[in-house]
Amino acid sequence: MVAFLRRLAGHLVRGVVMIWIVTTFTFVLIRLMPGDPVQTQYEKLLSQGVSPDQARAQVQVTYGFVPHGSWLSQYGDYLWKLLHLDLGTSVSAQGVSVTTEVMGALKWTVGLVLAGTLLSFVIGVLLGVVAAMRREGHVGSVLSLLGSLLHGIPQYVMALVLVTFLTVKVKAFSTGPVDGLLDPGFNGPYLASIVSHAVLPAVAFALSSFGGYLLTMKSSVVSVLGDDFILASELRGIKPSIVFRYVARNALLPLFTVLALSLGFMIGGAVFIEHAFNYSGMGAMLIDSIGNRDYSEMSGAFLLITVAVILANIAADLLYSVVDPRVRREGAGA
Amino acid sequence: MKRRALAGLTAVGTLAALLGTAGCTDSSESSSDVFTAIQTNIDANAPINPYNQSTNSFQGYNAMKLGWPKNSLTDANAFYPGLAASWTETPDHLKLTIKLQPNAKWSDGKPVTADDVKTSAAMSFSQGGGAFAVAPGAAGGVGAVKVLDPKTIEFDQSPGSSNNSFLRNVLNMWVIPKSVYGPQMPANIWDLIATATDPKASDKAQSAAQSKIQALGKKLVEYGPKKDVSAGPFVLERVNPGEAVLVKNKYFFAADKIAPSKVVLKNYSGNEQIWNYLISGDLDAAIYTATPTNVRKKILARQGNTMISGFSPVAASLAFNQSVKPLNDVHVRRALAYLIDRKLTTRIGESVGGTPAQTTTGLISDAAKAWIGQDAVDKLNQYPHDLAKAEAELKKAGMHKSGGKWIQADGKPFTLNLQVPNGFSDWIAGGKSIASQLTDVGIATEVKTSADYATYLSEIAEGKYELGFWLTALGPATYDAYARLYGPSNGWNQFGANVRHSPAGKNGNWMGGAETATVPGLGTVNPGELTNQLAQSDPAQQKQIIAKLAKYSNDQLPAIQLWDYTNIQFVNTTRFTHFPANDSDVLRLYPGTWMQLGYIKKK
Amino acid sequence: MSAIDMPVAGPAVVPARRTGFWRNLWTVLRRKPSRMAGAAIVALFVLSGVVGPWLYPDNLPRDNDLILAGPSLAHPLGTDFEGTDVLALLITGSRYVLVAAVVAALIMVVIGTGFGLYSGYRRGFSDSVLMRITDFVLTIPGFPLLLVLSTVWKFSSALQMGLVLGITGWGGLARSVRSATLSLRERGFVEAARGLGMPTRRIVTAELLPNIAPYVAMNLLIGVTTFIYSQVGLFYLGVLPFKSNNWGVMIQLAVTNGVTQTGDGLGYLMAPLVAILLLTLGVVLLVDALDEVFNPRLREE
Repeated sequence: MVAFLRRLAGHLVRGVVMIWIVTTFTFVLIRLMPGDPVQTQYEKLLSQGVSPDQARAQVQVTYGFVPHGSWLSQYGDYLWKLLHLDLGTSVSAQGVSVTTEVMGALKWTVGLVLAGTLLSFVIGVLLGVVAAMRREGHVGSVLSLLGSLLHGIPQYVMALVLVTFLTVKVKAFSTGPVDGLLDPGFNGPYLASIVSHAVLPAVAFALSSFGGYLLTMKSSVVSVLGDDFILASELRGIKPSIVFRYVARNALLPLFTVLALSLGFMIGGAVFIEHAFNYSGMGAMLIDSIGNRDYSEMSGAFLLITVAVILANIAADLLYSVVDPRVRREGAGA
Repeated sequence: MKRRALAGLTAVGTLAALLGTAGCTDSSESSSDVFTAIQTNIDANAPINPYNQSTNSFQGYNAMKLGWPKNSLTDANAFYPGLAASWTETPDHLKLTIKLQPNAKWSDGKPVTADDVKTSAAMSFSQGGGAFAVAPGAAGGVGAVKVLDPKTIEFDQSPGSSNNSFLRNVLNMWVIPKSVYGPQMPANIWDLIATATDPKASDKAQSAAQSKIQALGKKLVEYGPKKDVSAGPFVLERVNPGEAVLVKNKYFFAADKIAPSKVVLKNYSGNEQIWNYLISGDLDAAIYTATPTNVRKKILARQGNTMISGFSPVAASLAFNQSVKPLNDVHVRRALAYLIDRKLTTRIGESVGGTPAQTTTGLISDAAKAWIGQDAVDKLNQYPHDLAKAEAELKKAGMHKSGGKWIQADGKPFTLNLQVPNGFSDWIAGGKSIASQLTDVGIATEVKTSADYATYLSEIAEGKYELGFWLTALGPATYDAYARLYGPSNGWNQFGANVRHSPAGKNGNWMGGAETATVPGLGTVNPGELTNQLAQSDPAQQKQIIAKLAKYSNDQLPAIQLWDYTNIQFVNTTRFTHFPANDSDVLRLYPGTWMQLGYIKKK
Repeated sequence: MSAIDMPVAGPAVVPARRTGFWRNLWTVLRRKPSRMAGAAIVALFVLSGVVGPWLYPDNLPRDNDLILAGPSLAHPLGTDFEGTDVLALLITGSRYVLVAAVVAALIMVVIGTGFGLYSGYRRGFSDSVLMRITDFVLTIPGFPLLLVLSTVWKFSSALQMGLVLGITGWGGLARSVRSATLSLRERGFVEAARGLGMPTRRIVTAELLPNIAPYVAMNLLIGVTTFIYSQVGLFYLGVLPFKSNNWGVMIQLAVTNGVTQTGDGLGYLMAPLVAILLLTLGVVLLVDALDEVFNPRLREE
C-alpha cells in the first residue's frame, strides 16, 4: 500500500511538472501565431455582410480584452492566475470566464467520449477474441479486414455519412446535444433526450475506432495463445472455457492501458464528430478559438486536454501495475 | 466462447436498438407554432447583452435598434423604424431628432423612454468606435445627447465635421434598458464622456477620462441581466448549447404582427449542417449560406423550401500587391483582367451566391448602375475574356512568349502565387479556377492557402502575398466601398477629416498602389482624397465623384472585380407564409425584424 | 491520430534470418492468395506514387461543362469541382500523400525506436530524461498542435508535411519499444553479451535491434496508413496545404460541394476514400504475412 502511494505521489509530481512544461510551451507557441483577434473579428463581420462602420463599432471593445504587455509579464500573470485556478477571460465572448466556457464544453465531450470509447472497446475486444480464435478461417479474416477497413474510413466521413442517412434521409435522430425545447435539469425527458442525442455520435465514434481495439486484442490473444503456460494447461486437460479465461485475462492487460490512454487523447480528438453533430464540445471550442485567435480560450482548452492526458497516463500506469503483478516489482510501468 | 461473444454482441445490439427507438427527434421539428431559424455562434455562457460579440441578445428577436437599415443600392441613410418611430435630420447633418414608438415597452412592462436611449448612448461610448468614438474631433462623432421629453431625444454631431454617416451610425445603435445597465455605470459617466471628447480639454484630463471609459467598457460588455429584459418581439427563455429558445413578448409594441409563439435559433458550425436542416425541412428560415448548385436543387426539391434572392453590397475581387514586380505595371494587371474568365470563375467558385462582375468599377454592378447609369458603366473597359488583347498588353509590358510560357523583360518567367485563406471554399475553388486558366495560357500560377483567415489577414497586411482575394464594394455607403480600394490597405489613413498617404509597406499599405495616376479623360487623380470626400458629400456630389473613381478603378485596376455576391436565403413555407419577396429591401435583416415589419404569418 | 498499438507481450526471439527472410516471405505469401493480393496492392500504390505524375501533364486538363460529373467512358471515376478527371487526380496525387506518409512513418520509427531502445536498455537517468521527452510529445494534443504549428510555420512540400507529422507522432512507439526492450534485456542472450563486455552500442544494434525489428517494421507499415488518414482531417482543419489532387483535400472538397447531400460527384468522394481503404487492405494483408514470417509458431499446427 505504501509502495502504491509512493508511486502515486511520484506520478503526481511528474504530472504537475509536465503540465507546467506544456503550459509554457503552448504559451509561447500561441503567441507566435500571426493574426490579431480584433482584425479577424472585423473582417469576419464584413464577410457576413455587416457594414464596415458597424463592424468597426462592434469590434472596438475587443481591444480591451486582448492581453497586452511584454511576454514575460503576461506569462507571470497567467501562471499566477493558474495557481488560483483562474483561466482568464475569453476574447471572442468578451468577458466570459474561460473556466465557465471550458467546463460547459467539457461536460458534453466527456459524455460523448466515454460512451463512444467504452462502446468501441467492448465491441473491439469481443470481436478481437473471435478473430483470434478463428484466425485461420473465414470469420477471422473477415473480422480483421472489417476492423482495419472501418478504422480506415476517416472519422470525418463516417460522421457525415451517418448524419446524412440517419438525420436527413431517414429522420431517426436529430443533431445537437439535447432538445432545446425541454427544460434543463435532472428530469426524465431531458435526460432521455441527452441520451438519445448521444447515441449517434457515440456510434460514429465507436465505428471509426473499434478496429484498433479489435486488431490489438487479436494480436494480444494470438501471442498469449502461443505462450507456454497455455500449452501446459491444454496438455493438462483443463477445460477450454477455463483456458479461455486465462487467455482473456492475460491478453486484456495491454488493452487496459490503451483504453486509458485513448480516453485521455480523445478529449481533444473528437473534433470531427462534434462538428458534424453540432455538439458544442471541447474539440469545437478549440478549433473556434484558434480561428478567432482567442488566446485565453486556446490556452484554457490546451491546458485541459493536457491535464486529461496526464491523468489518463497516470491512471494507465497505475492500472497496469495493479493488474499485472510482474510489473509491480520492477517499476517497469513507469 | 462463441456463445459468449454472441451474447455480448446481442446485448450491445439490443441496447442500441432500445436507445434508438426512444424517440430521438426534437419536438421543435413537428410543432406548427414554433419558428426555427439559424444563428451562428450560440454561446450558452455569453451575457444577454447586445454589445457583446457572442451575445444571447439576438438582432431583431430580443435585441432592438433604433432603426433597421434598408438594403438600398445607393441610400445609406434609408431605415425602417425600429424603436424609433420617426426622425428628422438637419440638412447639414448636425442635429438628429428621434421620436420613439409611443407604445414601446420592455418585457417587464415598463415603457421604453428617451432615458433608456441616453443610457444606450453612454454604453456605446464606453465601447467606442463609429459615431461614439471617445476621441475629440472624430469624424461623424456624437457631441451631445439631449432628452427632450420621455419619447423624444436629440443627438448633436460634434462641431467641425458634417459627416453623412452620422444618421446611420446613431440609428444603428442597440437600445438597452436603463433599469438594468444604469446602476452599472458611474453617476458621472456623462462628465467623463464630455471630457474625453472635448477638444479643448487638457491632454492629461482627456487620457484619464478615456482610460476610465475604456475600463468601464470592459466591465459593461461582460455584464448581462439574469433574466432577459427585451423590447423586441421575443424574450429569451433559455439557451442550450446548440440552441436558443425565445418566447413571444406580450409587451412588444407591435405584438399583434407577430405570428409565432416561440422561436428556436439553432447553432451551426458548418454550411453542411444548414443544408441538412434545409433538406429535411426543419428550418423556417436560414441565413445566407454559400451553396453549390446541386445542393440548391436538392434543397428546393423539398416541399415548401423556397429561395429568395436580393443583391448584396459585397464583391469578391482579386487584389494586387503592386510592390511585387511585374504587378506594378498597369499593362500586366490589365492583361490578367483580360485573361481571367470571370464567368467561368464564378461558376466554379460561387455559382449560386454570386454573379460575375460586369467589369471593375469599385461598386457592385447594380450599385454602379444606380449611381452613374448603365451607359456610363458600358462605356468603361469591359475586360472581356480576350486572349489577343491580353497578349498585346503583356507585350506592352515588355514580355514575350517562349516555349509556351511568358517571360518577363529581365528574362525571368512570369509566374504567380495566388493566396487564399483556408475555410473559404468559394475563394479556394475560384482561386483554383483562376490558377488553372492562367497556367493554361503560359503564366504558371499556384494556389497557396493560409492556415486560416486570421493568418491570411495578418500576412496580407504585411505585404507577403502577390495576389489575394479581397472583399470590395462594401456598401451601401460609397465611402465604405471605395475605402476598400483606396483606404488604409492602399496607404491612405484618416487624420481627422483628411487623409494622408503612406508609402508601400508602411502603416498597413500592402496594395502599394501609386498615390496619383493620370487617367485619359480625367487628368491626374488622387483616389484616396476623392474617396475621403465621399464621406462628406451629398448624393449629387457623390455621383460625380463616383463617376471619376469608377473610371479610375477601371483603368488602373488596383483589384480585378470577380463576382458580386447575391444574397440568397432559403425559407420554408410549410408552416409560415408571407416571407419577403425577391429584391426586397429587408432581405439582409433577420427574420425577427421581418416579423416586426409585418411579414411571416401562420399558414 | 493514434497508431494501432501492437501488444506489448514480448516479441518472438526467432532467428528468421537463418532461412532467408525473403524466401520465407514468399512462401508465406503463397500460402494464402489474399496475402498475395495484399502485396500486389501495395506494390501498385508504390508504382503509382513513383510513376503516376509522369503519366499526366502538370496542369491537368479540365472540362468546364462536366463539373462533378458521374462516371463515364472518358472519366471512369467522374470529375471534380473544376471538371478535372478524378482518376488523374487520384494517380497524380498519390505521390504527395504517400511520400508524406512514408516520411512521417520513417521519422516516427527512427525517433521512436531510437528513444525506446536506448532508454529501455540503459534505464536510470537517461531513461528518465528520454521518457520525460516522450511524455511531453505524447501529452501535447496532436491535432491542435498541428493547427497552431501550421500558422507559425508554412509547410508545403510533402517532405515538410511528413516531417511535421512524424515529429508529433512517435511517442507511442517509443513507449512500446521501451517496454519490449525492458523485457528483452532480461533474457539470456543479452546477459551473455553484457558478460562478454560488449559495448552498449553493439548490444543495442546487434542483439536488441534485430529482435524488435519485425515489430518495428510492422509499425512502419501501419504508420504509413495512419498518416494517410491524418492527412484527411488536416485540410478541414486548415493544416494541409491546398493541392487539388491530394486525397484528403479531395474528400473534403467533395463534402463542401454537397456530395453527401446530393450524391452528385460521388466518384469525387469515393475514389480517394476507396483508394485509402484499398491501401489499408493491402497493408493489413501484408502485415498479416509478415506477422507469420516473424512468429512462425503461430502457424496453425
